[in-house]
Amino acid sequence: MIILNKIISFYYREYKLNLSGFQDILTNIIFFFVSIFIFIFSIGPDKEKISTLSIGIVWTLLLLSSTLSLRKFYQDDFENGSLLIMHLNGFSFGFIAILKTFSHFLFVQVPFLLSIPIACIILNIANDKIIYLVASFAVGSLTLSCLGSISSSMNLMNQRNFLLGSVIVMIFSIPIIIFSVSIINIEESFNSLISILFGILLIVFAINPWASGLCLKLSIENN
Amino acid sequence: MKFLVNPSKFNELADYIFKPVLILSILLFALGLLFSFYLSPDDYQQGSTVRIMYVHVPSAWLALLTYAIMTLYSIAALAFRIPFGFIFNTAVAPIGAVFTLICVISGSLWGKPMWGTWWVWDARLTSVAILFIIYLIIIFMNLSIENRNVREKVVAIFILVGSVNLPIVKFSVDWWNTLHQPATISKLSKPSIDPSMMTPLIIMTLAFISIGLSIAILRIKTEIISRKSNLG
Repeated sequence: MIILNKIISFYYREYKLNLSGFQDILTNIIFFFVSIFIFIFSIGPDKEKISTLSIGIVWTLLLLSSTLSLRKFYQDDFENGSLLIMHLNGFSFGFIAILKTFSHFLFVQVPFLLSIPIACIILNIANDKIIYLVASFAVGSLTLSCLGSISSSMNLMNQRNFLLGSVIVMIFSIPIIIFSVSIINIEESFNSLISILFGILLIVFAINPWASGLCLKLSIENN
Repeated sequence: MKFLVNPSKFNELADYIFKPVLILSILLFALGLLFSFYLSPDDYQQGSTVRIMYVHVPSAWLALLTYAIMTLYSIAALAFRIPFGFIFNTAVAPIGAVFTLICVISGSLWGKPMWGTWWVWDARLTSVAILFIIYLIIIFMNLSIENRNVREKVVAIFILVGSVNLPIVKFSVDWWNTLHQPATISKLSKPSIDPSMMTPLIIMTLAFISIGLSIAILRIKTEIISRKSNLG
């Protein structure tokens, strides 16, 4: 029961922190919408052209705007010492990584999930395709959170070149983009493609505690 | 086989074999270029452009081989605490990046006369480009994380995570329909290449291996010295 209490208080703390920094999350979503506008202005308001490109645009911009918030994944907790306190309280580093991944999914990716339908209406995506897009993003965004955890824990001690973290996430998210865009474009193979996405999610989810936990441990020991 | 894991044993061996390997690589390059330019036939379809193969294929093999050895050394370094693996990773990553770049550029030059474009987005070409970017990320990580103790382990973890790309590069031509041809030379079947083209290919591969080995020896020795004197 003690561990459950600790987990609940961990999420309460995350909730408080994210509530006080709510304008950051809101800015992320505004970035997402503004970049959709920029995309439309750059390819012209032709309906035919937009409808062939729209799914790719939405997925690319979701990926880009969710990598924007990676800097806050571990950095703040690392610098004010909360990570060490959590570890001293009995959480292993791998478990901290899992908890943080879910917290990032809840407080950063779920607002995107809610804003996808609005983006779909702006881009004239057909109503029956929206549900596929939301389903693929629900699976894909948890994978993105795991990748974000790995890359931002790798770059904790990296004071010079923080953009490297975004590049790492983007490199490994290529298969997710491929399969989730083809989910929407080839509707008959929905079941097989969503299984592949789930498979990728499970692989990344299994690697995540090991890789991020080891990186967190190294950074805290050598800080 | 102690020289594979022990820096001082490696240094002893390197002093013996560096000059022979360098001379061997020069000789093999001279012989291989002679063979590939004058002593091998034109292809009946591709004409003279087939000679790009003698640079393209060895560099592609070595790009993959370098990454595979780096993966093995990362496992050894992380699991069995062998610091020579970290030295090897730091020293060899730029060599692999250069081989990948040679492979991509020569393939692009070969693609223009044969396929009509410099670049197509098929699976083999894209995955090799990703391999190049992964090499670049490894190099940049080595440059930008200052604490050596953290840097070497984080880079090793990144190499392990990035090694998922290796089977994708290798089997991309079998799994998907690509414009790039499948492997001509494989272990399981008789190679479908004429012996007159096989000879320069083997000589050039040996030349690439020996030049890569001699640069690697130089870089590993430099890395060992800089660690001994606490420079990096």
